Amino acid sequence: MKAIKVLERILATLPIMFGVAIIVFFFIRLTPGDPVDIMMGQGGAISTGEIEQLREEFHLNEPLHIQLWYFLRDAVQGDLGYSYVLKRPVVELIAERLPATIELAMGALFFSLVIAVPIGIISAVRQNSLLDRLSMSGAFLGISMPGFWLGIVLILVFSVYLHWLPVQGRISVGIELEERTGFFVLDSLLSGNLEALKSSLLHLVLPSITLGAAVAAVTARVLRSSMLETLRSDYVTLARSKGASEWVVVMKHALRNALIPTITVLGLQIGILLGGNMVIETVFGWPGLGRMVVKAIFDRDFPLIQGSVMIYAFIFVMASLIVDILYTYLNPKISL
Amino acid sequence: MTRLNLRMFTILMVLAVIMAACGPAATPTESIPDEPEAPAPADTQPVEAIPEGGGTVVIAMAAAPVSLDPADHRSRESETVIRNMFDGLVTRDNTSGVHLQLAESMDWVDEQTLEIKLREGVKFHDGTEMTADDVVFTFERIINDNQIEYPEPHTSPRKGLIAPLESIEKTGDHSVVMHFSGPWPPAMQLLVHQQIVPKAYIEEVGTQGFIEQPIGTGPFKFVSAQPGYEEVVLERFDDYYGGSPDLAPAGTACVEKVVFRVIPEASTRVSALLAGEVDIITAVPQDLIPNLEANPDIQVTTAAGTQPKWIELNVNQAPFDDVLVRLAMNYAVDKDLIIEQIYGGRAVALPGPLSPFNNFANTSLSPYPYDTTKALDLLKQAGWEDTDGDGFLDKDGETFAFTIDTIESWRPLAEAVADMYRAIGIDANVRFWEYSVIKPQLQAGERMAWLDDWGDSAFDPVGHFEAKWHGFVADTPYGRGNFSGYNNERVNELTEMGETTPDETERHTLYDEAQQLVYDEAPAVFLLLPEEVEAASVNISNWAPASDSRQNMHDVCKSE
Repeated sequence: MKAIKVLERILATLPIMFGVAIIVFFFIRLTPGDPVDIMMGQGGAISTGEIEQLREEFHLNEPLHIQLWYFLRDAVQGDLGYSYVLKRPVVELIAERLPATIELAMGALFFSLVIAVPIGIISAVRQNSLLDRLSMSGAFLGISMPGFWLGIVLILVFSVYLHWLPVQGRISVGIELEERTGFFVLDSLLSGNLEALKSSLLHLVLPSITLGAAVAAVTARVLRSSMLETLRSDYVTLARSKGASEWVVVMKHALRNALIPTITVLGLQIGILLGGNMVIETVFGWPGLGRMVVKAIFDRDFPLIQGSVMIYAFIFVMASLIVDILYTYLNPKISL
Repeated sequence: MTRLNLRMFTILMVLAVIMAACGPAATPTESIPDEPEAPAPADTQPVEAIPEGGGTVVIAMAAAPVSLDPADHRSRESETVIRNMFDGLVTRDNTSGVHLQLAESMDWVDEQTLEIKLREGVKFHDGTEMTADDVVFTFERIINDNQIEYPEPHTSPRKGLIAPLESIEKTGDHSVVMHFSGPWPPAMQLLVHQQIVPKAYIEEVGTQGFIEQPIGTGPFKFVSAQPGYEEVVLERFDDYYGGSPDLAPAGTACVEKVVFRVIPEASTRVSALLAGEVDIITAVPQDLIPNLEANPDIQVTTAAGTQPKWIELNVNQAPFDDVLVRLAMNYAVDKDLIIEQIYGGRAVALPGPLSPFNNFANTSLSPYPYDTTKALDLLKQAGWEDTDGDGFLDKDGETFAFTIDTIESWRPLAEAVADMYRAIGIDANVRFWEYSVIKPQLQAGERMAWLDDWGDSAFDPVGHFEAKWHGFVADTPYGRGNFSGYNNERVNELTEMGETTPDETERHTLYDEAQQLVYDEAPAVFLLLPEEVEAASVNISNWAPASDSRQNMHDVCKSE
């Protein structure tokens, strides 16, 4: 039953994706700036004679609705066109870059959960203690610190002065890793390459902390307040009066219910982790999707922008679907 | 992104100051040469550079190459990597001298015909010998339409760099003849930018196979690349013929491996160098140079830049339609102060419409001096005076106010210049744009003042005169970057004559006159030319940045 419901929900994303595709299509074409003109560059990289030829090749001379038709017709067949600038299929370009972005997002998510869950619980249980105050001011800092600033400070301290962690990139120069999935940590495990595993994990630390800091802060605050609420509810009082140990009361009765709002927030944060990491990718020289998209926007590389935004939208929709599925496990009263 | 960069630099600077205050005292060790290093004269070269030590050199670049196909890009980053794997008929030293590379001799039979004899015994990385067929194939792939078939058939974007080449024919196993549509004086400077590719290999594997595993005749061969060329690994080619005999050292490369890595953020590049993760970094921002110079393990070197900066003034609209006003604008800017304060002394004031390092720069011109009295005097002659005592100049009841439009990257420069104008009573403001957004307005003559640079690494006046100082002519390259609306018949004529006059002395005369005219009529405020700054670990020797941003790894050695 649940499987059918899930499938239904996945199918329901189709109209959303369709809407996203159309909105992206029109909005990037409304932005001033002409891709062929940008390609021409200062040196006149393409001659005036070629300009018309390129416009024709990119269908930029056709009316918008015809261009939209070409785009949708190809997109349905899984063909998102090819990048004007990089001259390679968009699907291929995204597939190459996505693993790096997802790996970083997972690292950041892992970091933020490891920090946020204990802090959220302890701050709620020991409300107004010194620990609570310290961690909540820490969370405040985490939310307000700009990522690039934190990144640079971490690099200066841990890489330049202490030499503990690498400055940038995904793996050290000279380490050979057979790429299978594009996820370096996974690839190192699959090929049993411990040197590569160590290097790729070390390279993940600073960017994950930088990207995960804000998410950790938000999650810790939300978890704390929802824990405070559940800890005051009747069923917790009942559990206590039954003589359940404080550990069981907190971890089993209170936490499970407090997780629902936390997971909702976390689901939304996934979007930030995946879509908001271009700055972090730039600071740490992380070869992910975000940096490619930013460049594509400046180049007005329409197919590449369209394809990438659709992928982001798809991930967003999937994240919210996963959150919904998780609800049903946390609270069986909720159904899909 | 640039705004972000600026913020980051500021923060980094503050942090650096704090950390420097806590750290051990550092002594600057590297002095900056005033002049770009001259190429070593041929007679002082060692017999053969014997590779010693080997090692891996890691170079951090600011942007990724777009392709490793020498015929399918127009980016300096691509060329930086490509020219370590591929050689051309000719190459350039670190300044502007052109030297034979794969060509053994090149002779002009007449003004339109170039006879080329190729070096024999040159091998591609797959062991096959380079012949005239490869050279013909290389150029035909560029000049003929739709020769590059992947992912969809398209014409080489490098065609424009060699537009006058009409055909090329094989005259022997190691000789070819090039036919040009007319005399083309900058031919040698522009042939530097075309690298020879293997015919048989490309025909066998196609463009897609070629970009996956590129093969050239250069000192390094391709090993691997990360998606998007975020990292490109090359290794020494042991059968290398040695490179240009004019440029020491000749022979195989010194280092065993070269890795190009992309680190877009300048402060991260600097950190990576400081942490020892990379050996060479490019595009060092001026404000981070002191940090690097203070470190005894780092060497900082500069080369003459190729991107002059100026403010183009709209000559078709008041008040800049008056040459007196335009001259005043030139006198009112203290270029030396800007060079000292913003560029740390690593820039030169522009003496006119061309870079002073251009091979045809008019040496009798000198930068407009900073002279506010003269500026105010000229403005007064043009009718601009502060009659109402509000601190701003006015004429017919209107205040002298205008906006300097620019891109975020030049914020400090634009704001400094605007301040200098305000100091003499001109209400100058600065507005920042994305270039692609403002370009149509600039072309339509809708903006008053545009501050930007215009790159040209060929050291020949054609590039700048054709694009910037020739009047705009639709559907031609003329005036494609002319945002001042300047259109002087004589300058147009001289520019066109300069393009087809083969005699060097005659060209000098033509361009001297053209430069003098543009200088006198001042369609722009001629600002400055920043140097290219790069830094490396002290373990790196035989290394110097090149004006055309090439990273010549052939010569570089690394000691552990």
